[in-house]
Amino acid sequence: MSTLVASYHLMIRALRESRRQPGVEIQNIFIPLFFLFVTVGAIGQVSGAAFGVENYKGFQLPVAILQGTAGTAGMGGFGTVMDIERGYFDKLMLTPAPRLALVLGRLAADAVRVMVLSTIIMLVGLVMGAGMEAGVAGAIVFVLVAGLFGLAYSGIGLSIALRTGSVQAAQAGFLVFFPLLFLSPAFAPKEVFSHWLEVLATLNPVTYVLEGQRSLVLDGWQWDKLAYALFSIAGLGAVTLTMTLMALRTRTA
Amino acid sequence: MPAILTEQLTKHFPPDIKAVDGIDLSIAEGKIFAFLGQNGSGKTTTVRMLTTLLRPTSGRAQVDGLDVLARAAEVRRRIGVALQEAALDDMQTGRELLVLQARLYGVPTSEINERVGGLLKIVELDDAADRLVKTYSGGMKRRLDLAAALVHNPKIIFLDEPTTGLDPIGRDAIWRYVEALNRDGGVTFFLTTQYLEEADRLAHEVAIVDRGRIVAAGSPDDLKASIGTDVVTVRVPGDDDNAARAAEVLGRVDGASDVRALEDSVVVYIKDGSTAIPAIVLRLSEASIPMREVTLSRPTLDDVFLRMTGHHIEADRSVTRPEPQRSE
Repeated sequence: MSTLVASYHLMIRALRESRRQPGVEIQNIFIPLFFLFVTVGAIGQVSGAAFGVENYKGFQLPVAILQGTAGTAGMGGFGTVMDIERGYFDKLMLTPAPRLALVLGRLAADAVRVMVLSTIIMLVGLVMGAGMEAGVAGAIVFVLVAGLFGLAYSGIGLSIALRTGSVQAAQAGFLVFFPLLFLSPAFAPKEVFSHWLEVLATLNPVTYVLEGQRSLVLDGWQWDKLAYALFSIAGLGAVTLTMTLMALRTRTA
Repeated sequence: MPAILTEQLTKHFPPDIKAVDGIDLSIAEGKIFAFLGQNGSGKTTTVRMLTTLLRPTSGRAQVDGLDVLARAAEVRRRIGVALQEAALDDMQTGRELLVLQARLYGVPTSEINERVGGLLKIVELDDAADRLVKTYSGGMKRRLDLAAALVHNPKIIFLDEPTTGLDPIGRDAIWRYVEALNRDGGVTFFLTTQYLEEADRLAHEVAIVDRGRIVAAGSPDDLKASIGTDVVTVRVPGDDDNAARAAEVLGRVDGASDVRALEDSVVVYIKDGSTAIPAIVLRLSEASIPMREVTLSRPTLDDVFLRMTGHHIEADRSVTRPEPQRSE
């Protein structure tokens, strides 16, 4: 059986599991939207005067998407821990399916879940008046970028889950996102940051994902920003996939 | 060619735990083999090495003629495994779980529905097939787990304590499936158990494992015959070193080949036990050692276990209670 086919079947299984636990997904939509409303309500009126951002709803929309992405992708690690605790992960390891598929199936399911969630948050943002300068095609790319980021990011929770088999540790995959988010231009452009924060934001891959998505909402097609976003995601993905595969090896040591 | 072969199979865990310590096995095709030992004796670790879930520290293992390290993927294709405590996904239905299992084993799509339907019928879960696994009772989960191990028609099946936690009815159902598959399909079984009656009823060959080592092996009848004597058990009050004192006294009874002192009893291995009992009672009375009960029996696997390890097997007898809303 090819890795691709096995990954597909495992992805479908993971998506079915999500569909049967809608409460988990709802919180990943509700929390980012709550922060979107509150942040726009608190800062939206002064963002133009304070740091030159007139469309603060559009400025914040990618932040809500990435928050939801981190929450959703973090659940991938949680699902794997549950499989490990129930012994079902061993059952999957006992099949002749390539072991890479056990990882890719879960990651692909996370990417699909992130894209569904992103579409919902984006539609709410559009109803709020965030706009989408890059049009319908831009909206599709916006969601795809979120999905790719989810794919790369969920590797953090998955690798922790495989290495530790612990629910608490796997949830740390979500917590990693907070420093990454706050050390990025999430609430104001990088140009108004203190020097030390600007340096950290420049090193932070989330910065480029945010700026790439933001460009689609606020400016239209800016290929350089999209390219930086995709390179950042590819770099993050390479690191997290390597971590995940190394963790998978430890389960048969 | 043996279905399963190991040579000095060893697994050590840091810092210095010898979970499996140089096990040699040769199990012929079509046999039911029972690996008998109590918790922590190395049974599960051995199964995990033979099924490619764990790398041996040293030694060699072959399953169906294939090295478990060098040809792990091929080994996995030829074996079915039901691990200790049904390892299932609670959020799938029984049918979905079996279909996924069939797909991952590469069963042709055109055959999957028929095969899964047939298996569900065999394990008597066809009525519950479309319910989520989380609504199943312990016995139903075990049967589903067994069906999952069979979905690709494996030649060799590993069952790790398949009936632990089941009530007598659930246990009997699993035993019947194992016997039928072995008898009708020629499937080789490697099962681990801490239940003497399970090994006695099912197994053609038994290996008794204690602290990671095989201490006795053979057919149940051969093992019992190896004792070569009757077994007289004398229960004594479990205080004042009664058992130790009794063992010392009874070691001098004519014909006693071995005497084992336990907490509140003494086991005497003796030829022609029925005629030896008066002498045993007399000796204990002379030594003023109180007795509560004297029993005579033919040797059981427990006696073999006791003789080889110095202690009785302590099986986990707890039964998983079905939750109220669940039904079989």
